[in-house]
Amino acid sequence: MKALYKIALLAVATASITACHNKSEPNYQYMPNMYEAVPYETYSEHPVFPNGKEGQLPAKGSIPRGFTPYEYPNTTEGYEMAKANLKSPLDSLSIDPARGEQLFTIYCAICHGDKGDGKGNLVKREKFLGVPNYKDRAITEGSVFHVVTYGLNAMGSHANQLTQEERWQVARHVMDLRSKL
Amino acid sequence: MSSHYEAPIRKPLIIGDKNYHDVTVDVARPVEGRANRQWWIAFSIALAAFLWGVGCVAYTVGTGIGTWGSNKTIGWAWDITNFVWWVGIGHAGTLISAVLLLFRQKWRMAINRSAEAMTIFSVIQAAMFPVFHMGRPWLAYWVMPIPNQFGSLWVNFNSPLLWDVFAISTYLSVSLVFWWTGLLPDFAMLRDRAITPFTKRVYSIVSFGWSGRAKDWQRFEEVSLVLAGLATPLVLSVHTIVSFDFATSVIPGWHTTILPPYFVAGAIFSGFAMVNTLLIIMRKVSNLEAYITIQHIELMNIIIMITGSIVGCAYITELFIAWYSGVEYEQYAFLNRATGPYWWSYLLMMACNVVSPQVMWSKKIRTSIYASFIISIVVNIGMWFERFVIIVTSLHRDYLPSSWTMFQPTFVDAGFFIGTIGFFFVLFLLYSRSFPVIAQAEVKTIMKSSGEFYKRKREEGGHDNHSHSEHNHH
Repeated sequence: MKALYKIALLAVATASITACHNKSEPNYQYMPNMYEAVPYETYSEHPVFPNGKEGQLPAKGSIPRGFTPYEYPNTTEGYEMAKANLKSPLDSLSIDPARGEQLFTIYCAICHGDKGDGKGNLVKREKFLGVPNYKDRAITEGSVFHVVTYGLNAMGSHANQLTQEERWQVARHVMDLRSKL
Repeated sequence: MSSHYEAPIRKPLIIGDKNYHDVTVDVARPVEGRANRQWWIAFSIALAAFLWGVGCVAYTVGTGIGTWGSNKTIGWAWDITNFVWWVGIGHAGTLISAVLLLFRQKWRMAINRSAEAMTIFSVIQAAMFPVFHMGRPWLAYWVMPIPNQFGSLWVNFNSPLLWDVFAISTYLSVSLVFWWTGLLPDFAMLRDRAITPFTKRVYSIVSFGWSGRAKDWQRFEEVSLVLAGLATPLVLSVHTIVSFDFATSVIPGWHTTILPPYFVAGAIFSGFAMVNTLLIIMRKVSNLEAYITIQHIELMNIIIMITGSIVGCAYITELFIAWYSGVEYEQYAFLNRATGPYWWSYLLMMACNVVSPQVMWSKKIRTSIYASFIISIVVNIGMWFERFVIIVTSLHRDYLPSSWTMFQPTFVDAGFFIGTIGFFFVLFLLYSRSFPVIAQAEVKTIMKSSGEFYKRKREEGGHDNHSHSEHNHH
């Protein structure tokens, strides 16, 4: 009987200690010595920055190493010029159809469809309409790159998701899809 | 009595005309009486020192180890010095109660209780240093191999610092059990003599219902012997493990195979010195001169002399081996001890540990209470410096001259040490007023073989003392 009381006491003690955890809040911590970062972590907030965000914009006109600024302006003229003059820097060795397809499936196919026929999942579910078939548009590799970089009408810029090289791979894949339609 | 043979050469261990009841009364007197003024003064000083130590530890834990004088080169200094010193002091208690029991030394009976109390209290002091010299003492539980949520992250069993954990905790628990088992009959005596309901209740609880039946005594003796058999290898291994902290390293001056036995000898040496210091005072203030006799002090002095000589041999061996090794680092380590910036600590250590115990060869000195008292303190100072010399002088100048430096303790280093001394005396003073400081049950067993009265009776009466009974000499 005495042992039973002790077990009950232990159970109550355990319950009273562990019951304090509220699942909608972070749990209690024991001596969080190196839990919080001393340096500024990416995406973190800190009052030391003007807008409180760790991610500050680089100075205008600065060029990071390994990056080439895109010279065509985000206008109709720019689009026409890109369509006419812009050529892919990828040669036969650096073209990677598998990666182009992968990137297209991730970033483009949800609207444009896996085949580029404008029958993506969102279109099929009628979330929105008006996605054209690649076959119906006169596009070049240069114009695809331009549109992916800046966006056009309902389409937004994808420059923050895809690097320049990735955009060229995708443009290449778009042209392949178009040729099959 | 006729069947009893006791060599006439043996001196009595219980002085005076004592019978069983006198032993009880003498042992119970400090517990049953009230503390006098001197006790309160001593207790207040010890308590103040203890509280000051608590403050220093709180400051260290709150602010960081940087409050100490340790630096990048000398990561261990007073902390480990004091740790090893306290552990060493604790060893005499177990030696007296266990090793001397195995050797059937009757003279241990008057001193084993206090010696074990000293063991337990000093191991408690020692155990604080490994925890509070940690940078993050609140994670000290990580040294235990406990199943956990870090993929059951385990401890590395290759570190002598981990062996220290096991050694010290085992040592403390075994000593505590050994001590408490021995206390049961004595607590029962206090329980049976208690006049206030409070003391009655307290001593009833701590005596575990000891009723002193034949079967109980038989098992009591067996347990004592088994525990003594277990504690003896323990006492040798614990300080061996402590010495491994240094001996297993690659530091010139530390990496020595002689360290384990030499540390154990040093531990016994300093421990007996501490027992002597305490008992010389205790026999006086608690009126126990009839039980803790000059002969006890002399025998402890002899052990101090023997172990002091062993330590002296170890010092000479180290010096010889350093020269013989042809290793310039080893040679420089010892040259640095003798002639470097800490030459004074080496000199103190040599003087206190090698020279001072040698005076015990003189019977006049070793049977002098004053001389024994002074030497017992000198020995403990010397043994503190032994650890300091081993730790600091080996660290402050080792392989790379670019990392040579000096060590300067801060007041926090000293405060922690003073605090442990204070805590030790707080515990010991409380003990001396609430525990039976002499194992009266054991002393009563040697009453008839080693009591002065009975010895004289035997010499006088030869075979005619059959009729002698317990109370008839009163």
